[in-house]
Amino acid sequence: MRIEALGVEHFYGHEKVLNGVDIVIEPGSFTAIIGESGSGKTTLLSILSTLLQPSVGSVRYDGKILSELGNIDHFRRAHIGFVFQFHYLISYLSLRENIALAALDPTLIDPLMENLGIERLGKRYSDEVSGGERQRAAIARALINRPSVVFADEPTGNLDTKNALGVYELFKSFSKEGTGFVVASHDKKIADYADIIIEMEDGIVKKIHK
Amino acid sequence: MITPIKALRKNRFKTALIFISMSVSIAAIFLISAISGGVVSMYSSMLKTDGDIIVTQKGIADTFFSDINRSVTVTISKIEGVKEVSGLILGAAPVDPLPIVGIYGVSENRFKSYSLIQGAYPAAGEVMLGSKIYETLKHPETISLSKKEFRVSGAFKSRIGFEDGGVVMGMDDAGEVFHKSASIFLLSLNDLSKSDAIIAEINRINPEMEAKTTDGFIDSYNQFKIIKTSSDVIGAMAFLMGILGIVSMMSMVVNDRKGEFGIMRSIGLSSTTIILKLLSETLIIAVIAYTVALGASLGILELIEHADKFQGYINGEITVTLMINVFMVSVSMALVGTLLPAIYASRIDPMSLIQRGGA
Repeated sequence: MRIEALGVEHFYGHEKVLNGVDIVIEPGSFTAIIGESGSGKTTLLSILSTLLQPSVGSVRYDGKILSELGNIDHFRRAHIGFVFQFHYLISYLSLRENIALAALDPTLIDPLMENLGIERLGKRYSDEVSGGERQRAAIARALINRPSVVFADEPTGNLDTKNALGVYELFKSFSKEGTGFVVASHDKKIADYADIIIEMEDGIVKKIHK
Repeated sequence: MITPIKALRKNRFKTALIFISMSVSIAAIFLISAISGGVVSMYSSMLKTDGDIIVTQKGIADTFFSDINRSVTVTISKIEGVKEVSGLILGAAPVDPLPIVGIYGVSENRFKSYSLIQGAYPAAGEVMLGSKIYETLKHPETISLSKKEFRVSGAFKSRIGFEDGGVVMGMDDAGEVFHKSASIFLLSLNDLSKSDAIIAEINRINPEMEAKTTDGFIDSYNQFKIIKTSSDVIGAMAFLMGILGIVSMMSMVVNDRKGEFGIMRSIGLSSTTIILKLLSETLIIAVIAYTVALGASLGILELIEHADKFQGYINGEITVTLMINVFMVSVSMALVGTLLPAIYASRIDPMSLIQRGGA
């Protein structure tokens, strides 16, 4: 899915956090959005992934604006995955139940968990597994419906180097199978995996590297 | 089903508060409705015993104030279709050490409706006691009424709490105590289809009397309307209190769980799904609270019925209809109380929910 942001601005109260962003995310690409804290990475990611409405401007998905996509929840569930910095698994559900909560086709859960190496942890709760395992479960939840694009906000921010690299490897391998990834991070290692790097500063796109 | 139960277990403290709030409200609705229903039912049963038609003084607000001349019964009993006429004097007076007791002066032909458990029916200067008051007064040989001693001729058992906690005596003695000839007449008929004609005839005999079918009288009796209205108002207050309790608790729950709902929205669960999820949680609490409140209400009514202090006068009745009605009320309470906070939560952007709530 091709995602196009046109003149996107966003305010929190009177504070302008995005100041006219125009970018294109090509289908199946691995895009990294990098920048310091407060540069607007998370807000841009939230807007691109439909989790937040822009104050000004629009985002097009294969040429269609949000209001033309029908039910936004259905669209998000079928086409978009999201991975957060703090896994954000629901604590009273087991890892498998967390993934099942999002799944449109429950038969895909076990193969995906096996693929991600967490098949033995299905009945465990998020506070019973390691940080890396939690993040793998969160990634499984994002990937379960084979979305066109997965957005990840600082997905390795809470992980050690080994687990962080493991997450990037996972993203890269799924990217090769056609899933697009848009990853916001201040971790420079992401540059080794990304096809496109968008550099943000003070709410604007400072530079795009290909 | 599993997910809502897990969510409720995760938020145990607030779940417990919602449960208590609902249980108390539902029990209050059950008790007030059962007790008021019981009062109406007991009095109605008393009037319906051998009473197809009831005759009172015209225009009275309460049968206790009714005063009609007993001599008319001779004329009424001769009307075609009338099987039997019995008279009643309804009153209340202190019977030491009880501050107030129901006193029923009844014509002799009505004694048969009381099942004797001891002694005999009362003659002049005698009374018989309901089993409840007979036990409370520890099987007395005499009682004092209006500064006059009456010998206790026996005791009877009645399923009507008012009578079982009351004193029954002959009409002449009751007339002396309450200074009236009769409060009401109860007519049993040979043929119910003739009731309209009989009523018209009685109303013609004495314009100061008013005859009605007993069912019609019960439907239009002001005292019953007052009891029913009071019960409905108190029940409605309990319902509103329940809703307010749920709304305030659910607002806190929703606030605590904003992050969780944000996550759910971010993975594509719809607002409707989240609203239904919250509703299913409160519905589970409502069903459990209803069951507990029903059990507690039955227990409390049983205790009240057998408490000496109330002499059996408070005799709550939980009918199947009341159970169904209160169940519907409980479900409505859960739905209305949850809907507002749930809709509020569902309308916020997923990212705003996550940022405000964490997970």
